[in-house]
Amino acid sequence: MTWHVDAEDLRAYSQGELAPPAFWSADTHLVACARCRAALAEVSESVDAGWVRLDAELDAPRPGLVERLLVRFGVADHTARLLSATSVLRRSWLGAVVAVLLMSVVAARSTGSVTLFLVLAPLLPLAGVALSYGPALDPTYEMAVVAPVHGFRLLMIRTVAVLTACFGLSVLASFALPGYGLRALAWLLPALALASAGLALSARLGPLLAPSLVGGAWVTLLWAVHAYDAHATLMPFTVAGQATAAGVAALAAGLLFLVRDRFDHFQGSAV
Amino acid sequence: MTPTVSASGLSLRYGGTRALDDVSLRLSPGVTGLLGPNGAGKTTLLRVLATSVPADSGAFTVLGHDPGTPAGRQEARRRLGYLPQTPGFHPDFTAFEFVDYVAILKEMTDRAVRHREVRAVLDGVDLSDVRGKRVKKLSGGMRQRVALAAALIGDPGFLVLDEPTVGLDPEQRMRFRELIAQAGEGRTVLLSTHQTEDVAMLCHRVLVMAGGRILFDGTPAELTARAAGRVWSSTERDPGAKAGWRTGTGSFRNVGSPPAGAELLEPTLEDGYLLTLDDAEVPA
Repeated sequence: MTWHVDAEDLRAYSQGELAPPAFWSADTHLVACARCRAALAEVSESVDAGWVRLDAELDAPRPGLVERLLVRFGVADHTARLLSATSVLRRSWLGAVVAVLLMSVVAARSTGSVTLFLVLAPLLPLAGVALSYGPALDPTYEMAVVAPVHGFRLLMIRTVAVLTACFGLSVLASFALPGYGLRALAWLLPALALASAGLALSARLGPLLAPSLVGGAWVTLLWAVHAYDAHATLMPFTVAGQATAAGVAALAAGLLFLVRDRFDHFQGSAV
Repeated sequence: MTPTVSASGLSLRYGGTRALDDVSLRLSPGVTGLLGPNGAGKTTLLRVLATSVPADSGAFTVLGHDPGTPAGRQEARRRLGYLPQTPGFHPDFTAFEFVDYVAILKEMTDRAVRHREVRAVLDGVDLSDVRGKRVKKLSGGMRQRVALAAALIGDPGFLVLDEPTVGLDPEQRMRFRELIAQAGEGRTVLLSTHQTEDVAMLCHRVLVMAGGRILFDGTPAELTARAAGRVWSSTERDPGAKAGWRTGTGSFRNVGSPPAGAELLEPTLEDGYLLTLDDAEVPA
């Protein structure tokens, strides 16, 4: 071959935009030239892919606010859509979390005691995680549980998102209590312990009973400690208590990993 | 032909209830109907075959994959579509977003390919005009079609439909039946239903289930033939009949053992179904 169809003409040819006589010339040449046919195939594929992408963009409805924010923060679009289906990431739940935190901060500032804040803050991520999955609270649970995406992976994606939101808001609330220094962050390890224990136990007890028991145990523990010595710092917020919470969180995380396959099946009444 | 689904000895006890009792079956391409009264174990069987709930004992394969192992379960799930009895929807999702969400759960991460597939399945169930509408604003029939579209994402070889026509008006039911018939072309569909008309219109094969057991496995014609010579007409309800009901003409249609000289009627699928349950001493 003494000549080949140039790239611009090949692109125009693939899109049906190459006019005669250049079209006739290219058409005749392509019959005889394998190299140009291969180049044409490459150009066509890239044009087709471009159309598919454009088509998909034009056809897809505009994502919601949470989804757009997540994508802006670098979350992949498919993960953002999975997260946008997490009911506790909706405005109503986040509004409730903000309200509880505001109330406890106002109480701490007016009474001079940070106890109510420290008691409530660990319960928020526990409740958030509990409300983010399961047959009673996730409307698409039954379809999700038979999907090839592993149930534990889906649970972890949602859990990380819920914990990030709850922890972020609680840390902001802690900044509103500057007089207490690091003590205002003493909710953090108990929160991790409660959330991980709730998840680990839910593999056997179900997504409603397990967090209810863990939350109940937390409130009972604090009540009992307070009844024993009303004037001392509540035990979970002492150094020993924080170390215990860290240990419980680590143990529960290990247990959760061991029982991860249980989240791959329907958790609820099978009949 | 290799069956799409092959199950043997499936049993599942839930609390004090024997939900599945030694169920064995083989399913091949086409629509197979699953009939049975409430509490028969239909939903449990569907959930087990859809890999949602593990059986206590027994084994089965879906398109050659064993859902008893994590790897086999994932492969089986890649090839099945499931429409649960009461499909739920996230309230703020549009039809497109909901099906897109299910497509992501089915591991479709390439946005362009996924959106093309979502559009194709929504077009397939005649919902292209409302794909931007929120699901909660759609009619019950349309919502059910959205759920069917989600089940059809990824072109599954095995489609499990749990009472999809419940709650639909007659026109919606007919439209939905057309879609199920289309879905059954070239793939295996297991359709649980209370409606014998669904089976009569759609299925090449029917299973009758009660008490966790399969009482009948055959063609709709064979089920109907079970009632041959056991259906008769009378002016009053025949006290000797297993079941009897007044028809539109005012006469009674009875099934059971007809008295001598009774005016025998042509049996229907419903007659065969009722007698199958009655022969097994199961209340319909």
